[in-house]
Amino acid sequence: MNKLLRVSMMLVLATAMLAGFGCTKSEVGTTGEGDKPAQVDSTITNIEEAANVISTAPIFFAYDRYDLDNAAKNDLKVKAGLLIKFPQLKVQIAGHCDERGTEEYNLALGERRARAAYDYLVLLGVRPAQLATHSYGKMYPAVQGSNEAAWSKNRRDEFRVTR
Amino acid sequence: MYSKVDLTATKRRSSPFFILVLAFMLCAGWSAAAQAASLNSEFMDPVRPAAYRVRAALADPLGESPYQRELHESIQHNLGFLPFLQIIDRNSVPGGSSLPVASEPGIDFERFRLVRADNLITCIWVAPNQVELRAYEVGSGMFIFGARFDVPNVSSLDGVADEFCAQYMEKLTGRGDFFRSMIAFSKNNGPKRQDVWIVKPTGGSLRQVTNMQGNAISPTWSHDGRFIVFSHIDEQSHALGVWDSINNRVQRLRFPGNTVIGPCFLPDNTVAVSLTDGRNPSIFQLDHSFRKKKTLISSWAIDVSPSVDASGTNMVYTSSRQGNPHIFMTNLKTNETRRISNDGKYNTDPHISPDGTLVVFARQMGSGHRIFVHDLRTNREQQISFGPGSDEQPEFAPDSYFIAFTSTRSGSKKIYLTTRHGGEARQVDTGAGEASFPTWGIRKP
Repeated sequence: MNKLLRVSMMLVLATAMLAGFGCTKSEVGTTGEGDKPAQVDSTITNIEEAANVISTAPIFFAYDRYDLDNAAKNDLKVKAGLLIKFPQLKVQIAGHCDERGTEEYNLALGERRARAAYDYLVLLGVRPAQLATHSYGKMYPAVQGSNEAAWSKNRRDEFRVTR
Repeated sequence: MYSKVDLTATKRRSSPFFILVLAFMLCAGWSAAAQAASLNSEFMDPVRPAAYRVRAALADPLGESPYQRELHESIQHNLGFLPFLQIIDRNSVPGGSSLPVASEPGIDFERFRLVRADNLITCIWVAPNQVELRAYEVGSGMFIFGARFDVPNVSSLDGVADEFCAQYMEKLTGRGDFFRSMIAFSKNNGPKRQDVWIVKPTGGSLRQVTNMQGNAISPTWSHDGRFIVFSHIDEQSHALGVWDSINNRVQRLRFPGNTVIGPCFLPDNTVAVSLTDGRNPSIFQLDHSFRKKKTLISSWAIDVSPSVDASGTNMVYTSSRQGNPHIFMTNLKTNETRRISNDGKYNTDPHISPDGTLVVFARQMGSGHRIFVHDLRTNREQQISFGPGSDEQPEFAPDSYFIAFTSTRSGSKKIYLTTRHGGEARQVDTGAGEASFPTWGIRKP
């Protein structure tokens, strides 16, 4: 009995350690109470309107980061709700970076940003077949300028409906 | 295009000249034998590499040819790229640089000694379409080398100048690859459009090699000069572009994961490239059919921009495995990995010299990126570019001496040349449009 208890405690400890150390700065996180698609706005009954909502709002990132903040997660929940409601929609997620980094590293960083959104949408229940990722690095800034106001708008994921 | 007759074997070599050659080999670090020798410490000072410069005088050409002036100017233009060589102003030579004879005996070396010339280059047109170029050591009057070239037409002039300068540089340093090399690069061609072009490092022979919608970036040349591979990014996907110089065709190869970043060739003509397999961009080796062969570098983080030395032993790359992007090096035979960059928070774009002794990379500073050289033998680091603007994407020439890089110092992206010791950077003439991602290849005969 004691042996069984010890083994059980070790398993619990190991699980806790894995959960604690397994998260890197890119991780989306495990499913929790908050990780559910948003209730779809009942007024959106038209697929064109859904496509428009999905592709209108980019999500943003901190410098040299690809983890999702709460604002990004909330935006993705809305998109997830619509993608689940309209499974015929397909979306390309394109990661972008600001101008300060170098091109090849930024292409990889943009890919990680696109992948972070992809993983979260899948976590929320979107079918992987509806999603594709792409990275442009710093090729196509949304806003011109060499200041934080411009950079913060350029570190982003854009969502293009490709159905 | 031209033929040459090497006159070296029939002439005496000058022993004082070869002492000078040894000194320069030491200065540039190109010869293990020269490194072992202990000559003037001034030549070994990496901070003041050009403390001594060879002073070369060009005698006025003799004989009749419609190409006389163009060849003279072309040689002068080429030699101007060698930072360890100074061309003496012809007007400063007492009595002028026009000689009654341009081959020994009978050359008046004295007038060139008076202006402290080390070498004299002479040019005799033995026929309107044939020229003999020679180099002499002024101090002793000794013959260094010479070559005879056919010049069938005006378009062959640059080739003659390049080959003569390559042989002359070879005599001075042991390596003449610079004048036999080409630079491939990406050039903006309208909005959302970049193509691969090639040009000689001294300018000229500018040529577009790809013509595709989207962005062709990060070109790299195969060691045999046949292929250029590059990342191609359009609205749908990333792909590996492959240009074959034999048939002038481009293939576009896609990979699962939709990410293709920064390819480089290994000495066996296979390609290393960052692809996404699962979650992270990792570095894979492709086989000769451009299929995945094996994983070279994989971590939880970003691994990009591989570069492998000419022996295939060491590979440098950028990795964010310790948080910020830094330069790492892995021995491909033992898998031993070490971190190369320790200062700064953002070090990217590494390239290892073909001789495997140096790593050049870009470090983010307050006002943009700057180029640094890390000596793998001493672990010393030296900043070799100082802006303004941003200096990125450095790459060693095949001689491990010259470095090409991209800079915005003139306002837009252009390609510049410097050396492993730094010094004044020289812009490569790439025509109109932004130019970036320079990469060296040896010109095919």
